[in-house]
Amino acid sequence: MTTDLYSLFLEPFIEFSFMQRALWGCLVLSLSATPIGVFLTLRRMSLTGDAMAHAILPGAAIGFLVAGVSITAMTIGGVIAGCIVAVLAGVVARHTNAEEDSSLAAFYLLSLASGVLIISAKGSNMDLLHVLFGSVLALNNDALILLTSIATVSLVSLAILYRPLVFECVDPAFFRSVSKLSSVAHFSFLLLVVLNLVAGFHALGTLMAVGLMILPAAVARFWTEKLGTMIVIAFVTSVISSYFGLFLSYHASFATSPAIVLVMGCIYILSLLIGKRGGLLTHH
Amino acid sequence: MVDIRPITLTGLFMINIINLCVNYKDSCALDGVSTKIKKGDLVAVVGANGAGKSTLLKSIMGQLKPSSGHVDLGQLSPKDIAYLPQSHQIDRKFPITVREFVSAGAWQRTGFWRVFSQTEKVSLQQALSKVNLIGVEERQISTLSGGQFQRMLFARMLMQDAEIILLDEPFAAIDAQTTVDLMDVIHNCQTQGKTIITVIHDLALVNRFFPKVILLAKHLIGSGETKLIMTGENLSKAGYQHIAYIPEPTPSIIKVYPNIQLNIKPSLKPSEICSNPEHYEENAS
Repeated sequence: MTTDLYSLFLEPFIEFSFMQRALWGCLVLSLSATPIGVFLTLRRMSLTGDAMAHAILPGAAIGFLVAGVSITAMTIGGVIAGCIVAVLAGVVARHTNAEEDSSLAAFYLLSLASGVLIISAKGSNMDLLHVLFGSVLALNNDALILLTSIATVSLVSLAILYRPLVFECVDPAFFRSVSKLSSVAHFSFLLLVVLNLVAGFHALGTLMAVGLMILPAAVARFWTEKLGTMIVIAFVTSVISSYFGLFLSYHASFATSPAIVLVMGCIYILSLLIGKRGGLLTHH
Repeated sequence: MVDIRPITLTGLFMINIINLCVNYKDSCALDGVSTKIKKGDLVAVVGANGAGKSTLLKSIMGQLKPSSGHVDLGQLSPKDIAYLPQSHQIDRKFPITVREFVSAGAWQRTGFWRVFSQTEKVSLQQALSKVNLIGVEERQISTLSGGQFQRMLFARMLMQDAEIILLDEPFAAIDAQTTVDLMDVIHNCQTQGKTIITVIHDLALVNRFFPKVILLAKHLIGSGETKLIMTGENLSKAGYQHIAYIPEPTPSIIKVYPNIQLNIKPSLKPSEICSNPEHYEENAS
């Protein structure tokens, strides 16, 4: 019995280094992406995160065009493209009559289309799948170092920005009146979103990267009304989903990143039903 | 002809607004407003919707760049201003406790890092006590009633301990008792020498509690002593020409404002009364 449980739940992560790497990648990603996801949802910017996740694709694609499947080139390209789209969407919203969400939608559709076009023009279908759905089971040392570095930078930055971000979220008019850090906090936060999306892109791909940010945060809102606890619940949700996603992927040969996101989706639906804060069943 | 009356001709002017014009894109929000506000004044800013009241406050804070003219704060700077925004601008569902929210008032002193000294903790308790919010410190702001929420905003304003206090519609949608309690807080600030400028829609409150007024309709209709400025002619110029009074006063309103005399024009349709809550005129003796 014990041997069965061991071979079922632990062996894959003890015997195979690619599973250990995948789990490590998901853990460090969860550490940094989930607090950012919590702030994204609290700022009602979930769709902005989704749009920016797609927006990094053409940059990564140009990196791929220049240097092949190079982590450095695709990361730099992705970060630049993400920042450009975030700034452009803001500028268009402020200087035209278009709403920011519709500009973001327009930009991300353009980005997605151009990114897919660039990759399919030069690379194979496998390259395209790698970019769209990630390759969490093939994370090498360079990728793990990148993910860990981005997680470290994100956590340190969040620790510094925590108070300005909270006050900027809850009462921006007041915060602008007492501090010039309002726009610094906003744009630093957007930069952290882009960085974590690029990190998520390497592991889960451009289509699934935002899932690790938004779904755990959405789950957490059903269980607590305290910000600190919300971040912890989101992290735990992400870790559990990552583990069981990898577990399912190993034993049932499912595609890994959709499996991870689907486990999160199941936890979300469960929370939607029985969550103690606004869950459908508990609410009624 | 615009009736411009300076608030005072002598004494120390704390805020000097000189020919202030502010535009939003193509539309003019304030047009050539000039007035002076003395240290320790309690001033109501009155005008119909879109008259530029909030724009005036934001210009005083330096958040809006004037297209011409300027606001002179003398020796003071925007750091010496406490601002209470309209409550609808605040995310009331955000997961933050009353204590954390009110502590934001100490931002100018504590800054970027969460260094909250014993003195600040005492100040926070005093601020909460002054607005009768002791006991709710650890509650989430989403659980507060409208009145408690407004009291909390006042507590944060008290924490700022600023020389100039700008309040943007502080009495919107709160009950009469809370209004009176918060007016007490305002008066206490005034007796400490603070200068208070309040955007307010309730003309009964203006007449009863505010000795000075700035009446706006994008341009300045008049500024000075309330009883001199709040004339029918000036109110008409400010866009209050149609009506009359709102429904029957509640007992609590009568208790709080016993001197209010109601002018109810019988020609007014009930629908107009309900849809134009700002359009009334009243005489407080």
